[in-house]
Amino acid sequence: MSTRAKSVYFVRTALGSMVRSPFVHVIAIASLALALVGYGLARLASGQLDALVASLGGQVEFTVYLAPDAPEDKVKELEAALTQRTGGAVHRVSPAQALGRLVEELGDQGKALEGMNDNPLPWSLEVAVPAAAREGGQLEALAEKVRGLSFVTGVDYGQEALARLAMISRALKLAGLVAFALVFLTTVIIVSATLQLAIFSRREEIEIQKLVGGTDRFVRMPFLIEGAVQGAVAALVSFGLVFALARYVESSHGDAVAFLRLGGQVAADWPRLGAEQLGLGVGLGLLGSFVAVRRFLKV
Amino acid sequence: MIQMFHVTKSYPGDPPVLTDLNLDIDKAEFVFLTGPSGAGKSTLLKLMFLAERPTRGQILIAGRNIARVRESSVPYLRRNIGVVFQDFKLLPTRTVAENVGFTLDVLGVPRDDVRDKSLKMLRRVGLEHKADVSPLKLSGGEQQRVSLARALVNDPAILLADEPTGNLDPALTVEIMNLLCDVNARGTTVVVATHDASLIARYQKRTLRLEKGSLVADEKGAKAARLMALEA
Ligand SMILES: Nc1ncnc2c1ncn2[C@@H]1O[C@H](COP(=O)(O)OP(=O)(O)OP(=O)(O)O)[C@@H](O)[C@H]1O
Ligand SMILES: [Mg+2]
Repeated sequence: MSTRAKSVYFVRTALGSMVRSPFVHVIAIASLALALVGYGLARLASGQLDALVASLGGQVEFTVYLAPDAPEDKVKELEAALTQRTGGAVHRVSPAQALGRLVEELGDQGKALEGMNDNPLPWSLEVAVPAAAREGGQLEALAEKVRGLSFVTGVDYGQEALARLAMISRALKLAGLVAFALVFLTTVIIVSATLQLAIFSRREEIEIQKLVGGTDRFVRMPFLIEGAVQGAVAALVSFGLVFALARYVESSHGDAVAFLRLGGQVAADWPRLGAEQLGLGVGLGLLGSFVAVRRFLKV
Repeated sequence: MIQMFHVTKSYPGDPPVLTDLNLDIDKAEFVFLTGPSGAGKSTLLKLMFLAERPTRGQILIAGRNIARVRESSVPYLRRNIGVVFQDFKLLPTRTVAENVGFTLDVLGVPRDDVRDKSLKMLRRVGLEHKADVSPLKLSGGEQQRVSLARALVNDPAILLADEPTGNLDPALTVEIMNLLCDVNARGTTVVVATHDASLIARYQKRTLRLEKGSLVADEKGAKAARLMALEA
């Protein structure tokens, strides 16, 4: 009754089966890999969406309009406070600069403004707010405070745009999640059917093992090892596929799908994705084998 | 060693295969089980190694009531019972020696020991030279002997053999019967299901006769032989 002898037996049986009937195992691996590629793509898409939201959000600025008679020392104080609170850089924009920008933005219609002698625009402070300082209504609170200052005439931080962006991102992710769940469920069914097919060809072996006194655990173990190995191999294959696809999208050959890349990069936490695919693959392989072998244990 | 009390076995929708069966087989006894095809011989053996459960009644193996034993205990009970199946149940994808070794594999016996013991057992049934071929390449009689080797390699307390000489020529039949008698002489309880009247006549062992699921005769020695002669 040696555990070592049994472990050796389990691994040998599992490997033996893979050598004897490689086709069946390749099919099982292919179906597992299919599920994992789906998972990888979903993760990638969600990563791209995050990047998209971040890049759009990055353009949001916190603007403080100053009264014409704002005292210089108070403005300096405010600049320092804003930098400290948001962690972003503060620019002071002169009325002339502001007018120049406006003219540029308006284009032909802006030509009329060029002739103005009196510049009606105020001095302002612009803060490029980093993403971290935007969360949880922080900007709102800040804006409320700044508005209360005597030398400030107004605060603008594009709250509506931000809110809408966050909503769109949430909706897209939810839709993605639902689509992913459907695809995943389908693949799980395919995977377990495939594994059952693979195990069906060995029902005689299972029957005999049980008839000569093998426990369910004993009979099941090689199949679990096979499932885990299949899952691991499938994870490797699917990680390679997803990685190669990302590289292709990034490369110049992938111009047809250029819309998929943002800022020239397909952003992803590759080690994490790899680990997730490995975990998911092994888990799916184990679960699939466990369920599939169950049917044949009754002898 | 094997006792049955009012055992009935029926499959859903069919009339009972075995009806209200009582029997008592002692330790180290040698028993023939006979009767026409479909009488329920194989089914009776299946009840003994828990491939089937009785519909009614109690079955005691070595004093233990197995009629209602937990499913998880079944493997451990089976390890004391060697079975030669009517259809052999050999795996064509494994060698002869590996097939014999199955019985030891499930016990966690180390690989080298499995190989050693399997070869020794194959020598006893005269098939050592076929150890490394597939059972597919063996004749029916040879497959039967492999099946017997697998049943005996673990030195079981009980040996159940379903038609173990059905495919053998007279010379091989004698050889296998000698082996069974030898195993029996060492203390193993042996139950052999067979149609072969000459076998029963020749060995004059206790003989149970089944007909349509009922035990109709239980004779010993010369009487058993006469019982069979009558039919023949
Ligand atoms: N799984 C089953 N489901 C339904 N009926 C069955 C099942 N197994 C056996 N039977 C029936 O039980 C009866 C007895 O079968 P069994 O195999 O025990 O006969 P036997 O005496 O061994 O016959 P043989 O000498 O031909 O081997 C037969 O009529 C058979 O049809
Ligand atoms: Mg039969």
